[in-house]
Amino acid sequence: MSKELKELEDILNITLSKDLIKEVRKVEDGHFDVLTTPDKAYDLMKILCEDAGIYHLSTVTAAEREKEFYVYYHIQHRIEEEFREVPINFIITGINKDKPKTPSLLDFFVAADYYERECYDFFGIYFENHPFMQRLILPEKWPDDVRPMRKEYGWEELKEITLGIAKQISEND
Amino acid sequence: MVEKTFRSRFRTEVDGSDAPPGADHHIFIGPQHPWAEEPAHFIIHLKGERVVEADIRIGFNFRGMEKAMEARTWRQNTMLVPRACGICSAVHQNVYVRVVDRLAGVEDQISERARLIRMFSLEAERIHSHMLWYGILAHDAGFDTMLHISWRDREIIMDIVEDFSGNRVNPSLMLPGGVKRDISKEKADKAKPLLGELTKKVEYHKKVFVEEASIRNRLEDVGVLSKDDAKKTSPNGPTGRASGLPFDIRKSYPYELYDELDWKLVYYTEGDVLATTLVRIDETLESLQMCKQILDKLETSKGEILARVRPRIPAGEYMTRGEAPRGEDIHYGIANGTDKPERYKIRAPSLGNIDATLKRMDGEYIADMPVILRSYDPCFSCTNRVMIVNDTTGEKMIIGQDEFAQKAIKAKKYNRPFF
Repeated sequence: MSKELKELEDILNITLSKDLIKEVRKVEDGHFDVLTTPDKAYDLMKILCEDAGIYHLSTVTAAEREKEFYVYYHIQHRIEEEFREVPINFIITGINKDKPKTPSLLDFFVAADYYERECYDFFGIYFENHPFMQRLILPEKWPDDVRPMRKEYGWEELKEITLGIAKQISEND
Repeated sequence: MVEKTFRSRFRTEVDGSDAPPGADHHIFIGPQHPWAEEPAHFIIHLKGERVVEADIRIGFNFRGMEKAMEARTWRQNTMLVPRACGICSAVHQNVYVRVVDRLAGVEDQISERARLIRMFSLEAERIHSHMLWYGILAHDAGFDTMLHISWRDREIIMDIVEDFSGNRVNPSLMLPGGVKRDISKEKADKAKPLLGELTKKVEYHKKVFVEEASIRNRLEDVGVLSKDDAKKTSPNGPTGRASGLPFDIRKSYPYELYDELDWKLVYYTEGDVLATTLVRIDETLESLQMCKQILDKLETSKGEILARVRPRIPAGEYMTRGEAPRGEDIHYGIANGTDKPERYKIRAPSLGNIDATLKRMDGEYIADMPVILRSYDPCFSCTNRVMIVNDTTGEKMIIGQDEFAQKAIKAKKYNRPFF
């Protein structure tokens, strides 16, 4: 068992199954990265929420890496008696680029609803079992196959698409 | 695990087919509405005079800032990041420079003096943001006198910010590695009596909100958010602290030198709109005494205010948070070894607070809607960051406000391009 995992378990006061975790990294004192894969994410989050009592989700970030997508759930373990928080970056690695899919963690956080939809909007990552996987921020007329935060779309291309939509709307009016 | 029946908002169907059973009237507000200065579309389902459920659609102020940041250097982004929000610009910049400091490995080279100046900027911003907010809240509650009083007194802190930074609302004092400008002793001495004067005025404002029946009755027991509901909807900042979640990042995960100052955490357990107001007023008083402490410390602290940071940032990633006036501001930066970020994520506080605020409205009177919606300090540039700029011709010009308005009217009237 790695030293970091032991430290995290002491803070959370639970035992984490080693099969579910790919790696635990310590960013700084009381700030951890927990890496896992899409098939194990749901079970691991279940332990963190139900046994350790984590209830605060700050945000969900998606990022495009060379061969895969990463999804980061930034959660906070809150110790109310000490007015202290332990930030944990719950990182889901190895999300396939051709068919990006990962389980929705909406069962544990109500807030995951719109943060996951934001990732879907910008990256096209599909969150399985999410009851309302639709756009959140991009305009209605935005083409469905364009996921603007992916690296394949540069600044100039997005500008053309935006101006195209604006032109189309002004012509229709 | 969250019960299945408890669902989040942001789920409105365009055809209105998702209206809750039992609602007999539906009110649509926005995106353009005289009540709200900022664009959002609220849908409020009513039964008689009571709200059954409220929902929201966002995305009318989408600027594409995260994508824009990937196309700019880390140094340029220092000036783009504060534009994420009009009022809490310093805290966005502070969180950003802390991400860069950490990734560039200069965290320990930043002098105490630079950190104190950063903190002064943050606290001054909290004061003017809160004073602005409770003025508008009083206006929404139909108590315009308080709006005029609080905004008049707010000018004191605005003058101090302008004196120290050169700007009223966008101080931009911070840079990776330290701060841009020093605060001289003369300026600090000039500011100290003003802070004392402002403290007396804010104490008077608190007295008005607590003792004046016409405003207190409008806020007390309105829109109660219980602690359990707050845990489910995960609000942050003053919205959470009013409902008994005592978490302030300055205390719960201290950054800069907040652990060296003497200040107390403000939180209430009532959960109504009055509690959110009092949290903010008490915080304003705390921030004022923190500002005084910082100015006292500045007299003795010495050191270079700016450490050198190389333009190329080594590969790495870092998440950090800061306590904005509205709540928890979280940034996540990924560097790839070049001078541009690989990915930069900003989540400003308002997006996390909308859900809790709409939850507050269930079962309340329609007349209380403005104060409840105001209670989380809405800021929609917080909610939909990002921009796409039209610079087809690349032409640049500098014009005044009136000329700008004239040009815009002409462009609209004769249907011709603006430039």
